[in-house]
Formats: sequence, C-alpha cells, structure tokens
Amino acid sequence: MTHSAAANLSPVSVGKRTAAVSAWADRHFKWLMVAPAALLILIFSIYPLLFSLWVDFVNYDFQIPGHAFVGLQNFVQVVNDPLAWSSLVLTAILSVTVVAIEFVLGLALALAMVKMFRGRGVVLSILIIPLFISPVIVGQSWALFLQRPFGPADYLLGQLLGRPVTISWVGEVPWAYIAIVVADVWQWTPFMFVILLAGLSAIPSHLYEAAELDGVRAAQTFRYVTLPQLAPIILLAITFRLLDAVKLFDVIFMLTGGGPGTATYTMSFYLYQIGFQQFHLSIATAGSWLFLILLSVVIMALVRRLMRAEAA
Amino acid sequence: MPSRAMSLGARGTSLRLNAGRFLIIGFFVVFVLAPLYWVVVTSIKPSSDYLTVPPVWFPAHPTIVHYTAALFSYRGFQGLINSIIIASAATVLSSIMGTMMAYSLARFNTGGQHLAFWVLSQRFLPPVAIILPIFLLFRSWGLYDTRAGLIFAYTFMTLPLSVWMMYAYFRQLPKSLEDAALVDGLSRWQAFWMVAVPLAAPGVAAAAVFVFIAVWTEFFFALILTSRYAFTLPTIFRAFLGFQGMQYGEACALATTSLAPSIVLGMLVQRHLVRGLTLGALRG
Amino acid sequence: MTNEREWRDLNAGLSEEVDAWLRGDTSRRTFLKKFMLMGGAAMLPGLGFTAAGSQAWAQAVDISKVELADKATPLGQAQAAAVKASTEGPAEGSAYRAVKAAQAYKDKNVTLNLTYEAGLQALEPKNFSGPLWQALTGVNFNVVELPHPDQYSKPIAEHIANSGAYDVLDIEPAWIPALANGGVIVPIDDYVSKFMNKADLDDYHPLYKSITLYKGKRWGVFDDGDQFALYYRKDIFDDEKLKSAYQAKFGKPFGLPKTWDDYSQIAQFITDQLAPNVYGAAHFRKFGSPGNQFSFLQEFRANGGKFFDGDMKALLAGEAGVTTLNQMIAQNKASLPGNNDLDAVAQWAAWLQGKVAMIFSWPPTGRISSNYAQRDKAINFIPQSSIADKVGYAVLPGGNGEMASGYVKALAAGSNNEEAAYLFMQWVTAPPLSLVRTMLPYTLRDPYRMSTYKSEEYRALWPAAKDYLSNLCECANSGVVDMIMPGWQDYALSIDRMCTAVWGGENPKSALQKAAAEWDATTQRLGGAAQKAAYQEFLQIPGSYADHTIEKLGQAVHVA
Repeated sequence: MTHSAAANLSPVSVGKRTAAVSAWADRHFKWLMVAPAALLILIFSIYPLLFSLWVDFVNYDFQIPGHAFVGLQNFVQVVNDPLAWSSLVLTAILSVTVVAIEFVLGLALALAMVKMFRGRGVVLSILIIPLFISPVIVGQSWALFLQRPFGPADYLLGQLLGRPVTISWVGEVPWAYIAIVVADVWQWTPFMFVILLAGLSAIPSHLYEAAELDGVRAAQTFRYVTLPQLAPIILLAITFRLLDAVKLFDVIFMLTGGGPGTATYTMSFYLYQIGFQQFHLSIATAGSWLFLILLSVVIMALVRRLMRAEAA
Repeated sequence: MPSRAMSLGARGTSLRLNAGRFLIIGFFVVFVLAPLYWVVVTSIKPSSDYLTVPPVWFPAHPTIVHYTAALFSYRGFQGLINSIIIASAATVLSSIMGTMMAYSLARFNTGGQHLAFWVLSQRFLPPVAIILPIFLLFRSWGLYDTRAGLIFAYTFMTLPLSVWMMYAYFRQLPKSLEDAALVDGLSRWQAFWMVAVPLAAPGVAAAAVFVFIAVWTEFFFALILTSRYAFTLPTIFRAFLGFQGMQYGEACALATTSLAPSIVLGMLVQRHLVRGLTLGALRG
Repeated sequence: MTNEREWRDLNAGLSEEVDAWLRGDTSRRTFLKKFMLMGGAAMLPGLGFTAAGSQAWAQAVDISKVELADKATPLGQAQAAAVKASTEGPAEGSAYRAVKAAQAYKDKNVTLNLTYEAGLQALEPKNFSGPLWQALTGVNFNVVELPHPDQYSKPIAEHIANSGAYDVLDIEPAWIPALANGGVIVPIDDYVSKFMNKADLDDYHPLYKSITLYKGKRWGVFDDGDQFALYYRKDIFDDEKLKSAYQAKFGKPFGLPKTWDDYSQIAQFITDQLAPNVYGAAHFRKFGSPGNQFSFLQEFRANGGKFFDGDMKALLAGEAGVTTLNQMIAQNKASLPGNNDLDAVAQWAAWLQGKVAMIFSWPPTGRISSNYAQRDKAINFIPQSSIADKVGYAVLPGGNGEMASGYVKALAAGSNNEEAAYLFMQWVTAPPLSLVRTMLPYTLRDPYRMSTYKSEEYRALWPAAKDYLSNLCECANSGVVDMIMPGWQDYALSIDRMCTAVWGGENPKSALQKAAAEWDATTQRLGGAAQKAAYQEFLQIPGSYADHTIEKLGQAVHVA
C-alpha cells in the first residue's frame, strides 16, 4: 500500500471534502430543498404546456399524416364548434350551481351540527365518508341507484308520491342535469360542511353572549355576528370548490356519458372526447389552451385573494 | 374541532329548533348512506336479483361470486395491486419532495410569493390541459402504460397538497430547536432531517394519507396514460359501461373493494381533515 | 415565392425533427431515458416491476382448459371436425396450413395480444379458441377486453404511443378506412397469398366477401356476420282474437310488418291490446351500446335517404331523416317502458321473459331465444327463454336490414409478431373453426360463411335452426352495410348523440340539423375532395344502399 494512494483516503482529507460539500450544501440549502419538487413541476407542467403550444399550431390528427403547420386553424375549429360553447356554458352553470347548493346545504348542516350531542362523533364520521370516495365510484353508484327501471330511486319516489315514477335520470333532460347535481352535491357537501363547521366552532363565544345580552334575535345574530366572522372561511371554501367543480369529468363520464345527446358535455369531457376518443389531438389541445386561459383569469383573481388573506 | 357547545344566540333551545336540526342531520345521514348501501348490497346479490321490480333490498341468498369474478376475471386483482404500488410510491415521493420544499418555503421564504403561488396554482390546473403533451412525452420517454410513469405523474399532481400542508405545520413549529441544533454543529440538512421532521411527524403522516387517498381515487390520468399493464382500480369501472350492462355485481364488488381502504384511511385522519382539504390554510 | 417554399421546407424539416425526436429516433431521448431510469431506479422498487411483472400477467393457459363438448352432440362433432382439420388436414385447408406454419413459433415464448369487446364477446376466445390455439401451436394468448368505443380509440392510442401492445385487433369493417389511413393496421395480402386457401375466401356470403378491401388491398379477415333480422312471437301473430281486432280496426290482415310504418302501427296495436304483459316491441336505444346509429341509418336508407349530395353536404336533415326519427319515436312509444334506457343485453332479457312481441337485433337473439345458449354456465346471467318454441324469423320490414357493425380481425401495425398474429387470424376464421365458434352456446360470433349456413351440425342445434340460418342468409342478401368511409366513427357518434338527444326531448328537425352540421365539419376536417372520392368508393360496395344490395346486384344466394 503506497503512501500516496492512501493519502487520498485518509480520514482528514475525506473529512475536508465532505466538509466542503457540506458547507456548499448549507449555503445553497434552501434552493436544494425546493429543487426536486420544482423540477418535477417544471417537467409536468411548464414543459408540457410549452410543447402543447407547438401542437396548437400544427396538424396532429391520426387520420391525416404529417404535422403540417396550420396556423390558427385548430383554434378556429374549436371556436366554430357549437359543442365547445355549450360545454363551456354548461361547465360554468353547473359549477356555480353545485357550489351554491353545496354551500347552502353545508352551512345548514354545519349549523345543525355545531352543538354537541350524543353520538355527534359517529355522525361526523359518517358524513365525511363521501370525501374519500373516487368520483368514478360516486358516478357509478348513482347510475345504479337512479337506474330505470330497476334502480331504487324511481321505486322509492313512487312510494313517496303514491304514483308510479318512471323518470329516466340519465336519458332525459332536465333529469340528467339533476342527476349530476345530486351526485356532485352528495360527494362535496361534506367538504363545505366540514370547513364551515370548523369556522363556526372557531367563533369566540363571547360575541354570542354579548348579542344575547343585548336581546338580539337569532336570525339577526346570524346575519351580523356569524356571517362576518365566517366570511374569510366561506371565501376559502368556495374558491377551492369552484376551481374543482369546473374540472367536472369523472361523474359525467360514469353517469351520463355526456348524454342525452350532448346535453351534459362539460369542458373536460368535451376535450377528452375530441382528443382521446376521436383522436383529433391538435383540436383538443387548442381547446385545452383556450380553456386554460379562461380558467387562469379566474384562478389568478381568486387565489391571489386567498393568499393575501393567508399571509395575514 | 373544539368540542365546546356553541349556542346560536337563541334563549334556550326551542323544541322546534332541535327537531329541525335533527331532521337535517338525519336526512343527510340517510342521504349519505343510501347509495353506499345499495352498492354494497348489489355486490352480494345473485344475478337473478338484479332485474326485479320492486328492488330486492337484501338478497335471500347473498353470494361472493362477484368478488371473485371481479378480482380474477376482470383483472381486478391486477388493478388492485397496481393501485397499491402506485399510490404508495407516489405517497413516499410526494411526501419527501413536498416536505423538503415546504421546509424551505417556511423557514427561508424561498422564492417569495411567486414560487408559493406557482406551486399552489398547480392544484387548480385542469388535467385536461396538460394530458395530451404528457401523453406524447410519456410515449417518447417510454413511460406510457408503466407504473413508474403514473407514479411520477401522481407525485406531481399531489405536490401542492404535500407542500402546502407541511408549510402550515412548519410555520407553527418554533425554530428554537433547529437553531440549537445548528449551533451544535449540525448541518442544515441534519437540522431538518433529525430535528424538524420528527417534530412534524404527525403532519407528515396526515399529509401522506391525504396524498394516498388522492392518488387512490384518481381517474383521469390513469384512464389516458395506462392500458394493459399499469391500469389502476378506478379505470376498471370503464369496462362496465359498455354493451354488456349486466355486470352490476362485479362493478359493485370492485367499488366496495376500492372504497374500503380509502374510507378506513379517511377515518384515521379525521382530525386533520380540514387542514387537508384546505391545503393547510385552515386548522379546524 | 422562394420565401414561401423556404418557409414550407423549414416547417417540414422542423416537424420532422420533432417527430423523430418524439418517436425516439435521436440520442436526446436515450439520454433522458437513462436519466429518468437512473433516478427512478434509485428511488423505486416498483420500477423494475413494470417489465418483469407484465409478462407474468399474460394469461397462463394449459391444455386441460380446452373444454370440448361431448362428441355425440352436434357441437362436439363440429369441434372434433375442427380439431381434425387443424391437425390432420385436408392439407390445403386454411386451418391446417395455419397451424403447420405456426409450429415455427412453438417454444419461442410468443404471446399474441388480441383486442375483444368486453364481456360476453370475449368468452369465446377465453374459453375456446385461445386455449385450443395454444394447445395446437404453443403460441400464448392474451385477450384484452375493451368496451366497444375503445376498440377504436385504444389501438389508435397505442399506435401513437408506439407501444406494440396489440397484435390482432377486432374492429368494425367500417373503421378500416380510418385505421388504414392512419397506419394503425397493415394489409395482409402477402400473407393471404402465402398461407390461405383461396377457396375459403369464396366461402363467405357475398355481402362479406369484399368488405375488407380498401384502396385495392385486403386489411383483415371478416369474422362476425352481425346481420339484423326480425324475431317475432309466432303465438301472438297467430292469435285469432288479435287478428280479428286488427282487421276490424285497420281494415287489413294482421301479419308481419312490410314497412316501417306498419311496424310501429302493429307494435302500438299489440301494446294497446296486451300491455302490461306483452309490449309490441323493444329496441336498444342506450348511448354507445353500441349505439343508435345502426337503427337510424337502416331506416334512413329504407326511407330513401341518401347520406351526401354531389358536393358532399350531409343530407340528414331532409325529409327522409325527419320521417325516420318520427318513426323511431313512434317505435319507442309502442315499446316496453324503459325502452330508451335499454342496452342490447337488457333488450334480450325482456324478450326472453316473453314481454315483447317483435324485436330486431343481432343473430345471437335466435340462439338465446331457443334456450340453446343458456345451457352454458358462462352465460347464465341471461334469463332462461320462456318463448323457446314460439319464435319466428323474418327479414326486416321492407328488407334492407343493416349489417350492424360486424367484426374484422385486423393486423396491428406495431405488432412484434406479425406472422404469428396473421396465422392465428387465418386459423380462427377458417371454415371448420368458424363453424364451431358460431355454434358455441355462449358465443356472440355469428354465421358468415356459406358452409355455416348449410351445416348439418348447426341445423341440428334446435328444431328451427334451419329456418334461422336461411333467414340470416336472406337478410344478408338484402342487407345494407355501415358507411365504410374514413371518419365513420365520427359520423356514427353524431348520429348516436342525435338520437339520444331526441329521446331526451329534443326536437327531431333541429337534432338532425345539428347532426348534419357535425357531419359537414367532419367531412371538412378530413378534406372535402378526399371524402368525396371515398364516398364514391363506398357507393360501389355491395350493401351501400337499398338499390345496391347483393340481391339487386343479382348475386343473391339461398340455402335450401
């Protein structure tokens, strides 16, 4: 064993090297820590978006060979497609509707549950179950439940109303809309409920005591004490829920398949259909970009507000 | 959630108000349980009980034949294994990367508002906007229809969740212990790994469970990025949509198999639910 | 001008570059791949799983799984004949030649991946042809079950992803132009001339003989005679009370409908008289299962409708279209409650339970009506037939039933085992195998060969089987086919959506106009001139329109 070879491996020099690396790591620590996550996001978000920018302007349809430059044609096709517009409109209407209903129901439930009672814990556990279920299963379960003629829904409704009910929940307008709203409300009202409950529980009791002393009636207490305290939380809940609702896909896929006709096509479903069922990939990409641009405006507005509130 | 009773300001609680409350609660409990009950019951019904009016509320001869058929004839077993592997791996990756980034954001305010906003906004990115380029990129990287591909995709998808939940935790954690560690000569990494992380362990665990559930229930990426090999449980439901609409039993058996773990896990992290749902913005 | 050319060349070059990079033809991809793998392998045990684990999932099949029926039964005889033809000859038969040539792949650990429609359709390869092929040749077999629309989209996705995932594709003949143009399937002419017995090509019913030809090449072997026929309840149509009531009401004799208007009138009459025990008719109107396009296009053409005019503008919203939709609405009204939510299997269930007087549907209807199919436990979720001896067979009102979908076995472009895949295709559609496969109780494959229509074994399956087979043959003589053109799946989707919109309450005229607009958009997207040429090609295919059927072309065949 020669001395020179061993010298490179002596504890002191190894220690010096590790120490140097260590010191460098410490100086750049904060950047190294964010690097892996940032890299992954770059690869899966920025990079695909840039690539799709290219796809936007060429032909990428499996039936037509080659990727010739087509200018704005893909965008024109999307804009001229009445189905794209109806999907957009439906997405907007549906998401606002479900969020509004979930908010109202969630608030009612939260108000009902805020007071302690025996078995509250069990009830709470039951009520949050829908949050952990895959949306495709939700769609599937409701499809089964609402099935005509063998599902329980029509039968139970018939019993309730005293006359036979044969509503085609997935085959007729407006029942298909109602079915989708019911399925979404079923899954996400607990979301609103849980958050609003947390918010309600955090309201300091002395505010209520003061109101009671002043002889304020219940309804007015609600309007002037509860709601203002709840306001930032309401904003948070609605933001999250709304930005999720516009992506509505899984339930549509399983429950109505976009039908009847194209009545329940949401933006995501429409783009999926064009892109991955019919394989008009460049048109689908152009549509996705337009959708993303529209969505970004909404995201910017809502999320920045949220972050400001959070920073406070 | 604090267990203190909260009065709503009415003087005493009138009987009507109480009845109203319990009516709402009762309605919701039934509303939540009804479709679930139907799914579970359908999964154990013999096929002859499907096409009946009035519906069979509980079968006279329950059977598990749909479970075996679903798991073995419909490749439910493979889907289950894939889901377990993919969700676990994505959870590990996402937790590690997410915790690292969260620590950096919390302690050093790295990248300021912009980085934080960028990460948060990924939460709201509609998958449909990036799915096609990812599909094409996966193809050229040989990741199409592979478990690894989905794992990376899901790690990306759940990073906002991991990062923001841990961010909230780390911000609450007093710096004193880490500072003491640094003074003792530990490197920053060691201070992070050996001091901060163990203290934040409950948070890491909770975040991990949320990530797991998110990946376990995800459908869109799996639908498009997998085919014969790497498909997950949710994608199998697609097969029941077609021509042969009669496999209700198998579909429900698969649904029950998928539901059970995620519900159990959800119950475990109940306490952290609000934090998970709001990405740490609220503490509940 | 130079600038323009330069610009074009630049674009062509650029897109070629990117394409090559995407295809993975350059070193950048290898670098990226190595990088990802390095990182991945360091972190994940699951990564190694993907390659190794996938092989393990290929269906492990052994010879004892080949359940052959008792040789005393007709099915058993047919199966024995098929095995004999595969192993002993005749030596020039397609079955024998295919098996012989496939011996070259024995012990080479070849696995063929076949796409099949999920559910009932896939029982046949899983229970019979797959295990038998494996036993005969040692080539492994894997059935990939897909919902019907995925049988179109998944091969395209795999093709774009360059995955080589499939070897043999089950596709609708009407998809051939689109898939051929897109390079998803490859022609089989070379293999046919090398391996196939030409006489077997002549054994097809004339309607199916040239249906796999496109642009002068052969793109697959036809494998499923999905000819619509009318199935009706003889006891109801023979009922004296009904006969006199009908005569009294309408002033004409009560019998099988000769036109589509007759059909709804008779169905409504039966419903009025016999509901809720029996309804006049039932149809499968559910979206995508596989869809309303077949019923619509069948009746549209019977009403004199033409798809396109001279300028390739869609003519859907004309009088024929409105008439057709109104007829279909009347049919729905006369049908079983819940008719609009029925898929084909639910339609069969209602029919078998005796609730319906007439249905038109695919050939398995005849087999399950006679209770022949239900013997097998594989199919035991289809109810027992309570109408076994009461079923009659007829051609559709006015003739011109649609050959609705059908299946062709095609060769996937990215297959790593092209020859082995082709040999399987040839073997499984050879006359003796085709006979057995259409005779299996649980099969959804339907007769398409003259030898099958004439087969003594088949005729022995149930008393009326002879009439059933000759009826299928006659229906094919006057049958019309799907619109075999590029873009068919898009056109079909528009029709299916249009119909479900109308069932959902939309006004027929506006639904037709929307569908016509979608058709025009599809035509534009594919290129008006190209589509016009393709349409001219379609017009030459037997069965394109009611005036161009096999019968009208003088090629009708009859089985005694």
